[in-house]
Amino acid sequence: MSSQSDNAITIYPAPEDLPPLVRGLLENGEEVIAIARTDLVGSDYGEELVVLTNRRVLAVAEGRETRAIPLAKITAASIRGYINSCVLVVDTDEGSRGFAVFTRARLEAFEKFVTLTNNMVIGGGQYRLMRQVLDRIKRVSVSRGGRAVLVRLLGLLRPVMLLLISSILVAVAIRLLNMLPPYLMKSLIDEVLLNKQADRLFYIIVGLLAVNLVNTGLGTINAYLNTKFNVAIANTLRSKIYSKLHELSLSHYDQFGSGGLWSRIMDDVGRIQWAMQASFRDLFINAATVAFIGFTLVTLNAQLTLIVLLPIPVSVTATTIYRRLSSRYYQRMWRRWSRIVSIISDTINAVILVRSYGKESSFKDSFERYQEEFEKAQMDVFKFEQQIWPASGLAFTASSLLVWWIGGNQVLQGAISLGTLTAFTSYMWMFYSPVFGLIDNIKNLQILSMSASRVFDILDLEPDVVVTPEARDVEIRGDIAFNNVWFTYDGIHYALRGVNVKIRAGERVGLVGPSGSGKTTLAKLLLRLYEPQLGSLTYDGIDVKEIKMDSLKRQVAIVLQNPVLLDATIAENISLGASNAEPEEIIYAAKLARAHDFIMRFPEAYDFEVGMQGSRLSGGERARVALAAALLKNPKVLILDEPTAALDALTEDEVTEELERLTRGKTTVIIAHRLSTLRFVDRIIVMDKGAAVEEGPHEELLKRDGLYKKLWEAQLKGLTRMSQAEAGELYAAQRA
Amino acid sequence: MSSTLHRELRILDPKSVRVTAAYLDEVDVEINGELIQGVRPRKPFPYSHPEIVIFYKGNEEIGILKDYRMLDSESRGTLEKALRIVYFMPEIRKVLSIRWVQGRYEWRVVTDKGEEKFETWSRCVRVLPDGRLVVKDIYSRAYIVEHPEKLDAKSKALLTMMI
Ligand SMILES: Nc1ncnc2c1ncn2[C@@H]1O[C@H](COP(=O)(O)OP(=O)(O)O)[C@@H](O)[C@H]1O
Ligand SMILES: [Mg+2]
Repeated sequence: MSSQSDNAITIYPAPEDLPPLVRGLLENGEEVIAIARTDLVGSDYGEELVVLTNRRVLAVAEGRETRAIPLAKITAASIRGYINSCVLVVDTDEGSRGFAVFTRARLEAFEKFVTLTNNMVIGGGQYRLMRQVLDRIKRVSVSRGGRAVLVRLLGLLRPVMLLLISSILVAVAIRLLNMLPPYLMKSLIDEVLLNKQADRLFYIIVGLLAVNLVNTGLGTINAYLNTKFNVAIANTLRSKIYSKLHELSLSHYDQFGSGGLWSRIMDDVGRIQWAMQASFRDLFINAATVAFIGFTLVTLNAQLTLIVLLPIPVSVTATTIYRRLSSRYYQRMWRRWSRIVSIISDTINAVILVRSYGKESSFKDSFERYQEEFEKAQMDVFKFEQQIWPASGLAFTASSLLVWWIGGNQVLQGAISLGTLTAFTSYMWMFYSPVFGLIDNIKNLQILSMSASRVFDILDLEPDVVVTPEARDVEIRGDIAFNNVWFTYDGIHYALRGVNVKIRAGERVGLVGPSGSGKTTLAKLLLRLYEPQLGSLTYDGIDVKEIKMDSLKRQVAIVLQNPVLLDATIAENISLGASNAEPEEIIYAAKLARAHDFIMRFPEAYDFEVGMQGSRLSGGERARVALAAALLKNPKVLILDEPTAALDALTEDEVTEELERLTRGKTTVIIAHRLSTLRFVDRIIVMDKGAAVEEGPHEELLKRDGLYKKLWEAQLKGLTRMSQAEAGELYAAQRA
Repeated sequence: MSSTLHRELRILDPKSVRVTAAYLDEVDVEINGELIQGVRPRKPFPYSHPEIVIFYKGNEEIGILKDYRMLDSESRGTLEKALRIVYFMPEIRKVLSIRWVQGRYEWRVVTDKGEEKFETWSRCVRVLPDGRLVVKDIYSRAYIVEHPEKLDAKSKALLTMMI
């Protein structure tokens, strides 16, 4: 059977969780890294276990022959995808072979399997480390739900508890007061009008007036408490999460994505705010009201109360059916509507096509057909609703008529008074709305606990870049060493695999490599934005873990590939790392970064506000502001991630010259996509697939006929008008 | 014209082609006596002309069969074995229920491979020009309804709601 189970892949299963089928096959010392489950065997549904161990890839199924390929023979794994089915392909020296089949439902699982296999083949042996990372990620992503979450949420909301309780009490008081008028009416009819007690008429009228006045007053108080409570919960929760944002590691940002964090702060808090009111607060109010009115109804007339209850199940059923089926009718209507929109838009946008192929009449026919189909869908919606709501309405009418019939007879027989019957019918209509409210409240509790658990997901995170207590202030000279550094963002794919790089103080190093080779990641580790899972990074021989965070950030500056700016003025953005910088220092830094001139072109100059994420500046301008900020820190180590990526070739040349001047004598790492930016560096390090594969000066690397030469030639091809020799000369000239 | 087209497209004469072995999505083919291993068959028009097959070796096109059913019966059987994997597509014979659950439709159907459950988004049915229906689930797996007109009344009613 095809199923979409979450256990389509198990990564690093505990030995006791291994299926017996697999356990029996393992050799001594063989460890299972992943088990993926197929949902096809040949062209039929079925399950095979595809197992990756530290030695082999196996395919195992009950009653089938086991296939195995030793890792030593494998050069790569991949997936071929078809309409429904996919084939796991294993490349060996002897060629590539399909190894297992599965449907697209298992694609994600097998993509992980392929990555893990390639890790083993290319990375070799570091799988134990990945296990630790994954364990941590797994621990984080267990979402809880249910009652425990609600209890925790209430704990979190303790500061607003008093508000909650008083708002519930006031609301209940209002509902109770609303129950008084029918009761007073009963007295009015039975005792005053029918018994002709004129003296009490005045008191009852005054009573009704008083109820109304008090009610109005309480209503205002209620509205006030309500608003206050709403704002207070949202604020309490939001500030809790917001302050957590600053404690989180960047790895958590990756895990949840900026959208995920955003939606938890904005949407989930909003949802909790709404649901606290719509489910939690109203639950108490409705329950109290149902209890009071129910009690009153029973006291007035127990027999009639039973009749009052009759339409409730009918209405609940109708609502349930409506919720289940209505979407189908509405979705169909929208689907058909969107076909009409799409054909009109095609006709307008592609009129030349329609005309030149003479398709007018066929378009007109289709359009007519779509209109008809839409009309039919719309009428079906109408018919459907006509079947549901009148039925439910009828139940209410029937029960109220029944109350009048039976109650009326009882009045005629003198069993109950006329006032009792009038009061009863009034209470009866007051009874329904809190009952349905209560049902909704209980449903909404689920939304509350779901949103709350999403918020707790964030609040429960623990930062993984830990501050070691023995960390100290260190004056960095600028010797940098990566010692066998392994790093993964997600626990499955390695961004860095065993990087060994040494940079001497004052040296200027270029970092090149295909995109995705790990250059930016390396830069981020230098600032300890992430923690390598294996290996170490040292400054002057001191492990970064032993250097205080602010000490490190004061002395190491990075200009990111796509620099982000704060929604603040240019001056504030430049002085981010040196908040007490003098204005002339800011101007000096901006001049160094070639930003001063464009800044002065704004009427507000340095006090110009750059907008959200710097959106009022161009990409190149943002890059230069970010560079100015980095320079103002006067860092010991400067890291530039593709500083010229956002610039055109002309400006690039200028900036490159400028960079050369700025970085003289400073330990500098420049990541560059355009190799021409690197003409002044002392040494070039070439990254590929997460490792440093070549290093040396430009000429030497060219002679080596490796990856660098390939990258160089590929870029030369871009400069069509320039022969390779010319380009080489140009390069040499520029370097001199 | 026609003969250049044949040469350019490398249209194969079914009599000169033998399919000797199938392994998952690959086959071994003998063309004019020359054996080529690890060949992948693909249909350029899987819905509208399922009889046309193009053979690939790596990324290289080896040739086109205008109608693979013209192969000798043994070759045809072997090729179909691979095609059944590459074009694996359950055929819906009966729709048991379609329910709206949390923004998706949950289908219970009977296919030629047995009873199945799958989920789709709202826009999930494609009507092919010949009237057949293709239903795509949230993983973009396709299920085909070969003869919508022959389905039982309930299945038809349920399917109509989805078009
Ligand atoms: N925040 C992230 N989360 C997950 N994977 C990432 C993240 N950033 C980068 N990667 C992955 O790490 C690898 C190296 O990326 P990166 O260091 O940005 O490469 P480069 O800068 O050389 O283009 C790539 O495979 C990329 O997809
Ligand atoms: Mg990068």
